[in-house]
Amino acid sequence: MAGILKPPGAFAVTPHKVSVCILIQMYAPPAMMSVPFPFSSVAQHNRFGLYLFALTKSCEDILEPKLDELINQLREIGDVLYQWLTDQLISRLSSLSSPDDLFNLFSDLRAILGGTDLSAVDDEQVVLDPNSNLGMFVRRCLLAFNLLCFEGVCHLLTSIGIYCKEALSSCSAYELPCLDDSSNELEALSEYENMDLENIVFEKVNKEIEARKKASEEVSFHLHAPKALFGLVEDIKVSAVSKSQGGDKCREASPSAHAPNDAMREFDSISGAFLRTNWQMQGYLMEQADAIEKHGSSFSLNAFELILRQLQKLAPELHRVHFLRYLNSLYHDDYFAALENLHRYFDYSAGTEGFDFAQPSIGCNSFGRYEIALLCLGMMHFHFGHPKQALDVLTEAVCLSQQHSNDTCLAYTLAAISNLLSEIGISTTTGILGSSYSPITSIGTTLSVQQQLFVLLKESFRRAESLKLKRLVAANHLAMAKFDLTHVQRPLLSFGPKTAMRLRTCPTNVCKELRLASHLISDFVSESSTMTTDGAFSTSWLKNLQKPMGSLVLTQENVSGKDSNAFQFCAQPSSIPGSVLQLVGSSYLLRATAWEAYGSAPLTRVNTLIYATCFSDGSSLSDAALAHVKLIQHLAVFKGYKEAFSALKIAEEKFLSVSKSRILLLKLQLLHERSLHRGHLKLAQKVCDELGVMASSVTGVDMDLKTEASLRHARTLLAANQFSEAAAVAHSLFCMCYKFNLQVENASVLLLLAEIHKKSGNAVLGIPYALASLSFCQLLNLDLLKASATLTLAELWLSFGPNHAKMASNLIQQALPLILGHGGLELRARAFIAEAKCLLSDPSFSVSQNPEAVLDPLRQASEELQVLEDHELAAEAFYLIAIVFDKLGRLAEREEAAALFKEYVLALENENRQDEVDPLLSTP
Amino acid sequence: MSLTESCRNELRTAISQLNGRCLYSAAKWAAEQLVGIKQDPAKYTPSNTRFQRGSSSICRRFRTNEISSTLVAGVSYVSTPVMEEDEVVDSDFYLLAKSYFDCREYRRAAHVLRDQTGKKSVFLRCYALYLAGEKRKEEEMIELEGPLGKSDAVNRELISLERELSTLRKNGTMDPFILYLYGLVLKDKGSENLARIVLVESVNSYPWNWNSWLELQSLCTTIDILNSINLNNHWMKDFFLASTYQELRMHNEALTKYEYLQGTFGFSNYLQAQIAKAQYSLREFEQVEVVFEELLRNDPYRVEDMDMYSNVLYAKECFSALSYLAHRVFTTDKYRPESCCIIGNYYSLKGQHEKSVVYFRRALKLNKNYLSAWTLMGHEYVEMKNTPAAIDAYRRAVDINPCDYRAWYGLGQAYEMMHMPFYALHYFRKSVFLQPNDSRLWIAMAQCYETEQLHMLEEAIKCYRRAANCNDSEAIALNQLAKLHHALGRDEEAAFYYKKDLERMEAEEREGPNMVEALIFLATHCRAHNRFEDAEVYCTRLLDYTGPEKETAKSMLRGMRMAQSSFPAMDVEHFPP
Repeated sequence: MAGILKPPGAFAVTPHKVSVCILIQMYAPPAMMSVPFPFSSVAQHNRFGLYLFALTKSCEDILEPKLDELINQLREIGDVLYQWLTDQLISRLSSLSSPDDLFNLFSDLRAILGGTDLSAVDDEQVVLDPNSNLGMFVRRCLLAFNLLCFEGVCHLLTSIGIYCKEALSSCSAYELPCLDDSSNELEALSEYENMDLENIVFEKVNKEIEARKKASEEVSFHLHAPKALFGLVEDIKVSAVSKSQGGDKCREASPSAHAPNDAMREFDSISGAFLRTNWQMQGYLMEQADAIEKHGSSFSLNAFELILRQLQKLAPELHRVHFLRYLNSLYHDDYFAALENLHRYFDYSAGTEGFDFAQPSIGCNSFGRYEIALLCLGMMHFHFGHPKQALDVLTEAVCLSQQHSNDTCLAYTLAAISNLLSEIGISTTTGILGSSYSPITSIGTTLSVQQQLFVLLKESFRRAESLKLKRLVAANHLAMAKFDLTHVQRPLLSFGPKTAMRLRTCPTNVCKELRLASHLISDFVSESSTMTTDGAFSTSWLKNLQKPMGSLVLTQENVSGKDSNAFQFCAQPSSIPGSVLQLVGSSYLLRATAWEAYGSAPLTRVNTLIYATCFSDGSSLSDAALAHVKLIQHLAVFKGYKEAFSALKIAEEKFLSVSKSRILLLKLQLLHERSLHRGHLKLAQKVCDELGVMASSVTGVDMDLKTEASLRHARTLLAANQFSEAAAVAHSLFCMCYKFNLQVENASVLLLLAEIHKKSGNAVLGIPYALASLSFCQLLNLDLLKASATLTLAELWLSFGPNHAKMASNLIQQALPLILGHGGLELRARAFIAEAKCLLSDPSFSVSQNPEAVLDPLRQASEELQVLEDHELAAEAFYLIAIVFDKLGRLAEREEAAALFKEYVLALENENRQDEVDPLLSTP
Repeated sequence: MSLTESCRNELRTAISQLNGRCLYSAAKWAAEQLVGIKQDPAKYTPSNTRFQRGSSSICRRFRTNEISSTLVAGVSYVSTPVMEEDEVVDSDFYLLAKSYFDCREYRRAAHVLRDQTGKKSVFLRCYALYLAGEKRKEEEMIELEGPLGKSDAVNRELISLERELSTLRKNGTMDPFILYLYGLVLKDKGSENLARIVLVESVNSYPWNWNSWLELQSLCTTIDILNSINLNNHWMKDFFLASTYQELRMHNEALTKYEYLQGTFGFSNYLQAQIAKAQYSLREFEQVEVVFEELLRNDPYRVEDMDMYSNVLYAKECFSALSYLAHRVFTTDKYRPESCCIIGNYYSLKGQHEKSVVYFRRALKLNKNYLSAWTLMGHEYVEMKNTPAAIDAYRRAVDINPCDYRAWYGLGQAYEMMHMPFYALHYFRKSVFLQPNDSRLWIAMAQCYETEQLHMLEEAIKCYRRAANCNDSEAIALNQLAKLHHALGRDEEAAFYYKKDLERMEAEEREGPNMVEALIFLATHCRAHNRFEDAEVYCTRLLDYTGPEKETAKSMLRGMRMAQSSFPAMDVEHFPP
């Protein structure tokens, strides 16, 4: 990233940096032996060095820590030395009373740097390598100090005074010269008032320290941390609220932070607050951006907004803040704020980073990178469900990036467009990339959306590969896999040598693409990703100080091995950037989806579980929700509704507000299925209506949802025995799927039509549909669906009478292995029942000779159906069992089965009659 | 004593009181109004007439409905008793402090007054401290300017001042001036509601302090806030209301108020300038120019508001007048933001955009929040084809005042220049929202919709229609509407708009390609609908023009005549009598 290089002026000497310099001086005092005075061992000395290193790199906040925070951290790294170190630090800081003291301090500092000729240095002596991290830090401080004008030195002195005073106001000896200190008596009076209050504060601090020492427990205690953050914000009440909301990012507020002090300090904190360096702030903002994306709307809007507002106040030329504000409002669904901030960001920064305030008149030859603005705007519209606008904007982005020959942006834009096209159903191509200026479509505007999508994907992929944009390549692989999964490939061009029609999806292709996508990690090892990891590591190290566990490890002074362990443990998670992890994770999710389509339930489950266990902490919330949805669906199909609903409850708590729609959708699906099985048709209809509302086009058209809604509608009608209506709905659904090229859905719609005809007694009409569905499944490699289509076909044949029982039985035998291996409860039960029926209607089969051949599958079916709460099929199973027992003459068992049969029939009727509101439905 | 006379007396007392408290700009304002009060004809003194001769002519020229009466008419004003000074003779310390203050040694002044307890002394001490803090703040702002533009400089006196003033308020020992200062401090500290209350209190008890009104105005950001505050009905309130209306972009209301005030303060330069400002916002440049000419004649060394005059001169492309004005303000005070802006305008008019940017930058250095300089600089960058810089400048203007429709418009234009019409629409929408009666904005937006990339003609038509409805001075909208309808195959609508355009061109006696275009379309259209007489009229008019259209018209005429001559003949054949 180009913006991270800071201009030399960006590094300003602040009181915090002065104290770090003093600490470094203690770490490496000139002319001392290998382990300088206060340190008792090398390990201790090293840990101190590590701490200093972390201090110069950490980026957990926008503001530099106050002195008392620093002292607290010092305490964490070693309580033996703590007293000595803080005493030294404070006495040195407070002895700075005139500009000349500062000059002396910095010239002393020069002495700890070793010369360039390292060989001349005695081995035993501690010398700071000028090119090491700490050495660089010291050198930069020196440089920045030398660049200061006299006013600057005076300001530094004043702020050091405030910096010390805030922490240690009890000692009146630290009276520091204030530059604009007037001799006005009133002000002097107010100063004393200030002092008094701070005395109280300090007493409290002291008490707390004593209490801590007595209890000797590790309680993190930060008196001023949150105040430094929120001190600037107008309304103190808000800041008090946000403290509690700050949650994960802001460190917890100590209860001893009391209100009157807040008001007093509000003013001081303005002068006492110093921003970290650009570099550190950059890291902080990037971390926050990741966090926003990961946590979605559960990320606290206001707390972060407050920080950003403060940052903006302190650094008005740091334009990236606007971008963060955009992200924040985007993920909180605040359309107007998002739009406003997006425009503002790009107006100011012209798409470049915009950290250093370059005078607009200088370097004006570049055009800015407004195509990125368009790309972002397009994604925003997509996010808010305005596909039309999104497409318009993205087309504009394509044009502009071609004009400015920004290939990277073009690749991303194409990827974004293909994502848009794949997610949102658009049937006609006119108006989309349709006009002649768009070179992508120069191939011809007669292409269907899918074909366009394919071209776009290829194009984006080609560019990404040639530009070596690894993440984009991986993302494209995933998109390709998704495309391969759901779309039938045809030869794209209508001219040229015609390749044979390959009307099928290719599992191997999907697999290949997915594999290629996950190669990303290995690729990434070679790529340097210093910035994020480095800063993140330091921050996690510092954070670890506050964890009781961390400090326990760290206080064991003589075990140096453990130190490095802690070091690595903290450093590990960030060695792979989050975005890469996310991509790899979603490849697993996609694998799960692929297996779902191809009909392997165990593999689906395994892949989802891998995702949920390995990538959940790096994943975005919506992906995580998807994984949960998949697992719960799996539960519902294989373990029945009871378990699914209990799991759903957990998931609902976990994804409280975030991807509500996804979880809500799952809930509706489960409710619908269950009520259909139980025969509770009114409820089913109600749920179905709600699904229809969700699929309404208010928030953009989600084709999957739309097909799902009408599929369920048809099934509800079927369950209510309204055959012609059901058939009509299914027909229109089929037409829609055909129009939008949704072939996978087509297969299931055809199957549904076959079912409708089967149930209405029109088996002759049903068979062609079943056969069509079967051939679709074969082409698209939808194995499980194929098995279920085969089963339906068998049932259809069966209904023609005993002559066709053999045929039906053959079909069932064909499908049975797959059904038993991968099918859900319902499918298996249906297969068992059908098998039994075949046998029963086969004239050559006699029950009395081999009763178990019939009874065994029927028993299994009835068990599974009981778990599934499918009243209708269960009744049928028990009916058959009763008949078999009747034939066998086992009357007692017959009565038992008959009683169960009656029970289920009654339950079915009851469900139909009673209109009680399901407790689960009333909750959403 | 007439009300005019009482106004005059009130102002005289107020001026000396304000001067005594070193509130010089308020005193200046009051004095301007004092001299601006119309004289009773009976009491003319030669000196007064000399001063007011110039402005009387403009009053005659522009006051059509002469408001004969003064402020008394119909309105009963609350008479606020002139404040009695508690110390009749200033103490020696006060005199010393005031002298220090006048020499801008604020801290010294405050120090001298450290033990004084009189209200006047307390006020001056606090005011001096406040100003000292402000001065230091300004200095620090430059000293502390960090790499990221960080300027966290604050007035360090605010906190102690607020503490002291709030105790004073609790004790109830506050005079209106201290109240004003308290309001100022509160506003700077960000507690706006309390500041508003305090300022209202201040102006109600002492209405002649214009500074106080101005602070109050800056806190009235919406009309609702303005309506909610409870002000005594003093004649100063009218000044306040007029000025606030103007800030809230209610130009007509402001203008009415100002014209009403002119009944009494007929010769006030301030009022004239404000009226010019309102008229400028209503885009009545002719009148603005006249007002400013008069103003400059009376007050040749005036720099305030002259940047607006320069804008008018710029719009009217008066090279020499603009250069004259620039020269004059340059010699008067070259380091005023207004002066720099005028010079920038001059260079811009001459087409020397680099130089003009230099001067706008200077103006901005002098006043970072100088709104029009940002916008004008944006225009210059657009001229220089430096769009990113232009966008940056416009965006700063917009962030200073989000109601500046010119800057929004400029942003839109800049993006349109970069072929980002969809992106530009966002900005045009903003500017149109703020200024819905400006046809130029609507036309710009329509053109955006019309671009090849977007090609959203229906939306473009809607915009053009709006533009045509709000008095499109350049007459683009009608022609475009006709063209678009024609392109969409709606000939009836197209004919309607062509006809309208034609009428308009006739009324304004304009000729040009549009005329020919309209005529030829109408001729063909009428012929197609068998309205041969109309068609003939249009064709005949076309004959006045040269070019291929003339030939087309001729052949059309010929064709129609033949058709007309043959039709009746056929009729005769088929239906013999």
